[in-house]
Amino acid sequence: MKMRPHRVWAVIQKEWAETARNRGIVWMMALIPAVIVLMVLGTDYGFVWAGQSGQDLKSVNMPVPPNLSHLPRHEALIIAMNEQFFFYLLLIPITLPVYIAAHSIIGEKETRTLEPLLASPVSTGELLLAKGFAAAAPAVVINWMAFSIVLGGVALIAPPAVLGYAVRDVWIIGMLLFSPLLALFSVMLGVLVSSRVNDPRTAQQISSVFVMPLILISLMVLMGKAFLTVPLVLAGAAVALAADILVLFLAIRVFQRETILTRWK
Amino acid sequence: MCSILRVEGLTKRFPAFGKGSHETLAVDAIHLEVQAGEVFGLLGPNGAGKTTMVRMLCALISPTAGRAWINGFELGPDNDSIRASVGVLTESPGLYRKLDAVTNLSFFAKLYGVRDIAGQVDKYLRMLGLWDARYQLAGSFSKGMRQKLAIARALLHEPPLVFLDEPTASLDPEAARVVRDFIEELRGRGRTIVLCTHNLDEADRLCDRIGVIKQKFLCIDSPARLRRQLYGSAVRVRLEKLAPEYANLLRGLPFVKQVEASDGALIVRLEDPATNNPTLVRVLVTAGAGVRYLEELSVPLESVYFDVMGQQDQDVRQEAKA
Ligand SMILES: Nc1ncnc2c1ncn2[C@@H]1O[C@H](COP(=O)(O)OP(=O)(O)O)[C@@H](O)[C@H]1O
Ligand SMILES: [Mg+2]
Repeated sequence: MKMRPHRVWAVIQKEWAETARNRGIVWMMALIPAVIVLMVLGTDYGFVWAGQSGQDLKSVNMPVPPNLSHLPRHEALIIAMNEQFFFYLLLIPITLPVYIAAHSIIGEKETRTLEPLLASPVSTGELLLAKGFAAAAPAVVINWMAFSIVLGGVALIAPPAVLGYAVRDVWIIGMLLFSPLLALFSVMLGVLVSSRVNDPRTAQQISSVFVMPLILISLMVLMGKAFLTVPLVLAGAAVALAADILVLFLAIRVFQRETILTRWK
Repeated sequence: MCSILRVEGLTKRFPAFGKGSHETLAVDAIHLEVQAGEVFGLLGPNGAGKTTMVRMLCALISPTAGRAWINGFELGPDNDSIRASVGVLTESPGLYRKLDAVTNLSFFAKLYGVRDIAGQVDKYLRMLGLWDARYQLAGSFSKGMRQKLAIARALLHEPPLVFLDEPTASLDPEAARVVRDFIEELRGRGRTIVLCTHNLDEADRLCDRIGVIKQKFLCIDSPARLRRQLYGSAVRVRLEKLAPEYANLLRGLPFVKQVEASDGALIVRLEDPATNNPTLVRVLVTAGAGVRYLEELSVPLESVYFDVMGQQDQDVRQEAKA
């Protein structure tokens, strides 16, 4: 399977140029991270205020990692809270790009741009990889921006210990490595399904079924049944990378130029 | 002479799709050879298999049977090279409506590995009269402009062989004329073109050879020879005074097929005006007729087309009876 970087890049640029014209999608991608940023900073501020005004926070029932028990109660709570939000942030890029990916092949079929595209010398691998990457990247970048804004806000309003704890290898690796690979996985799933299914909504639903197990694992983490560690995140990233490659190859196998072109609408 | 396109027994059957439908034989064992620099017309009604033929030859869909060589590459094993070396105007222009003309073209220039992307894009935008609209979104273009942009896209990488699938089908007469003029210009530059059309005048005007297709070729030849083959040629002879004996006299000549009087003139069908006319005139003058003038009549390609199609229908009816 040929992969020529300049062609992959050409398709990525084209996809981005189209996405940029579609303000709706960009806003949708930014909406959830923006809400999370506001929630993190809002609760952080609430806890800081409660701590400063000497309120009793014993009744707040939240799992606090054992290694934080030496900190003042409200600082420990802020940290525990942030940890959960950061975890959400890690997973966000798996939700929205699916939407874009689901539209990527079907969309071109509907606008009839698929035929000239497939008549060009672009290979299936180049096309699918580019489509996947192009859909995942904006969400990941928005996520990084959200993470940076939260860190900036925490530096402003929360005690220094909180920031120190947030800027931690788990989250750095998680954001830079795990989250993008996971995003790419869900996107490639979307691309794979969308090359086989006729309408975008079905494609989205089918791919979300595959994303379910991930959501279950994350619920466990959120309920305090598991804590993220560096080895865990690295292992997660490795699994995600393997899954990415697997899904890409599967998508290439499944993608049949002829069927996609000639099947009646 | 080298053939840039060679097709042997190319066949496409579409499988039945869904309940109540049955297999479609879209293209039936077609043989064809197109020489470099030729404009070949695939002329046929809707559903004749033109688009299917083009899609097969552009390596977009695979034939059920048969082989083909395009620019020296064999269909099947060399599909990648075929895609890189042909240009195609698909049935619908298929432009990215949210991108401007330049971006639409540069994208494809990159995919085709064009070296001087900006140069080629400029060249074709100017050539097709889209220069002033180059930063407008393709979605805001008129149908004619879209078609021209799609034609530019098909030519960017200077393919030796270009397929144009019904380039004027959905255009108003004015836009259609502009597109036809451009195709004529391309022809003048020696580009090999396969042109699908159901428009007789277009085929007549633009093509060196025409294949009348309805699943298979019903006939292939140059427009002029197609006419002659089916009708011979006709000349109109206008005389000072029309007398019945002149017609009888002409009927006796070996090369004359038919003579009828119409509108004060004689319509004479004969084998070849170029060699027969002098004799014809001499005979008339000897018999005392005053020949005012003689003009060649051209049979419209339309009659050829409908004749061939009509024959086809009769064949089908006879087959059905048998
Ligand atoms: N994807 C397809 N699936 C099934 N039948 C098809 C398909 N595409 C075309 N056909 C059939 O093949 C025949 C030829 O179609 P087409 O090549 O589009 O003709 P034309 O371009 O000359 O109008 C028609 O009978 C059409 O119904
Ligand atoms: Mg057609």
